[in-house]
Amino acid sequence: MLTFLQVLTSGIAIGCVYGLVALSFVLIYKATETISFMQGDLLMLGAFTVLALNAGVGLPLWLAIALGLGLMVGLGAGLERSVLRRALGQPHLTAVLLTFGLGLMMRGALTAVPAASHSMHRLGQPADEALRLGGLALAPAHLMVIGATLLVAGALALFFRHTRLGLALRACSEDPRAAALSGVPVAAMHTLAWALGAGLAAFAGLLLAPITFIHLNMGLIALKAFPAAVLGGMSSLSGALAAGVFLGVVEALAGLALPEGAKDMVPYLLLMGALLLFPNGLGSAAGRERAR
Amino acid sequence: MRTPLRWVAWSALALAALGVLAAMGPDYALGQLAFVATFAIAGLGVVLIVGQAGQISLGQGALMALGAYAQCLLVRLGVPAPLALPFAMALGAGGGWLASLPARRLGGLYFAMSTLAFALIIEELLVRADGLTGGAAGLAVPAFAVGPLAADSAAREALVSLLVLALAWLACRHWVDSALGRAWRAIRADEAAAQSCAIDPARAKTSAFVAGGALSGLAGGLYAHWIGFLTPEQFGLMLSFELLMLAFIGGARHLAGALWGALVIVAIPQLIALARDLLPDALASTAGLEALLFGGVLVAVVLWRPQGIAGQR
Repeated sequence: MLTFLQVLTSGIAIGCVYGLVALSFVLIYKATETISFMQGDLLMLGAFTVLALNAGVGLPLWLAIALGLGLMVGLGAGLERSVLRRALGQPHLTAVLLTFGLGLMMRGALTAVPAASHSMHRLGQPADEALRLGGLALAPAHLMVIGATLLVAGALALFFRHTRLGLALRACSEDPRAAALSGVPVAAMHTLAWALGAGLAAFAGLLLAPITFIHLNMGLIALKAFPAAVLGGMSSLSGALAAGVFLGVVEALAGLALPEGAKDMVPYLLLMGALLLFPNGLGSAAGRERAR
Repeated sequence: MRTPLRWVAWSALALAALGVLAAMGPDYALGQLAFVATFAIAGLGVVLIVGQAGQISLGQGALMALGAYAQCLLVRLGVPAPLALPFAMALGAGGGWLASLPARRLGGLYFAMSTLAFALIIEELLVRADGLTGGAAGLAVPAFAVGPLAADSAAREALVSLLVLALAWLACRHWVDSALGRAWRAIRADEAAAQSCAIDPARAKTSAFVAGGALSGLAGGLYAHWIGFLTPEQFGLMLSFELLMLAFIGGARHLAGALWGALVIVAIPQLIALARDLLPDALASTAGLEALLFGGVLVAVVLWRPQGIAGQR
């Protein structure tokens, strides 16, 4: 039972990271109709940026995190303004190849930095002391991830419900033409979506850092964001986050119950199954609306 | 392509071929030619799915893996290589059908998702089923042979590849000109309009993925012989994206795009190796150079020549 609870917590923690990346992906997809294949690379770049500011430049950790996230938000906005804007209204393939190419360039540029490619890195002081509740030992890193994800989700909910900017972004995602007619600057909203998407991916990278350390392949985790986005229905931000957590838990439990290696296939089998049976996401499968 | 541009392209090609021949010798050039022809076969598959039917596939690399492993295992069992190729094709076609099945009524983005998931599952399976595939340690492939006749020199490898490419090309020409090809282009242009002309979009999409999968399987079967040793990581996501890139750079709307694209995709790593010799040591030793250049070429083509080399504007 204790093992079960510990596996469950670690599953929820890693699921939070999946969920945040899926959230960033769906946010971009909804607002700009663009498929981003570089969320994993943004995640990795964000973690490395904060690492470089903290360990390389010598800034205190909180300042490095704030500055690093700011830089990544700026990068997202800059890329949208300069390059990604060109993929608007093109077939999906254009955006897929464009973002994949940009991601490849980020990964390549970072690999070229010898200090980055040679070892795994830690961010800040590791808190290895496990939190004990009776016989249950919980890793503080996991609890920190869950707490931070809850905070971000809360902040995003407030942003999308109660600020003019958040409402404008939502309006633009629902119907760009109607939003433009009511005075929402649609092009600026696209920039905002990419800025937020890049910032969220970088934030997910920071949360992942204490769990898997910082290394060049940490971006691969973003592949799990695709099943999460599909299970969440591709159009719901809260659905993407919830599906990410769900996937993390299912994966952790599959690691307990199924043979070695099956764990890594489970999210993708779920993706294909979900498309076959509930093409609008698990959430809407419970509701009355069904796909055509 | 406009006529002057076509001339520039062809003369650049001829110059490059002469340069390679002079610098590296005929064996090297012919070996590369075999790879170009093999990639062009896989590229034709992508052209059918992406250029003709207007759908996305992110799993063509995994379909090549299916063909390669099927070919390798059958030949190891003693089946003559040309007889094993149809099985490699059939497995690729089956894989294409399965990968596209979950998304066939949804289309667009969902094909990207389901083929991606399929590719990642196959990659994991190839590593895990180590009793059959040798797992991550790999599997040696026998030479392409029928009885005493074997394609064991670069010239014969090139000859076999070109022959198979010619057959694949004829098949594609036939499909593109048939009712099937018209159905593909119709759903690419407008699904609702196609449906009102009695074209079943789901069926047309599935047939594109099956045909594209068969070509990928065929290319995989040949590729297995030319590289001689199979490991699952050769057929990862990167290969799928390289094939997409191939079709896009060459011009996905035209069958000829597959040839041009294959040429570019095979040439890029060679150019990078060449550039590495010329660059100062400090820069040349960095491992990220290849990814950086690959990404750069991809972004540049998407931004400045989205119709590809064979396309016209």
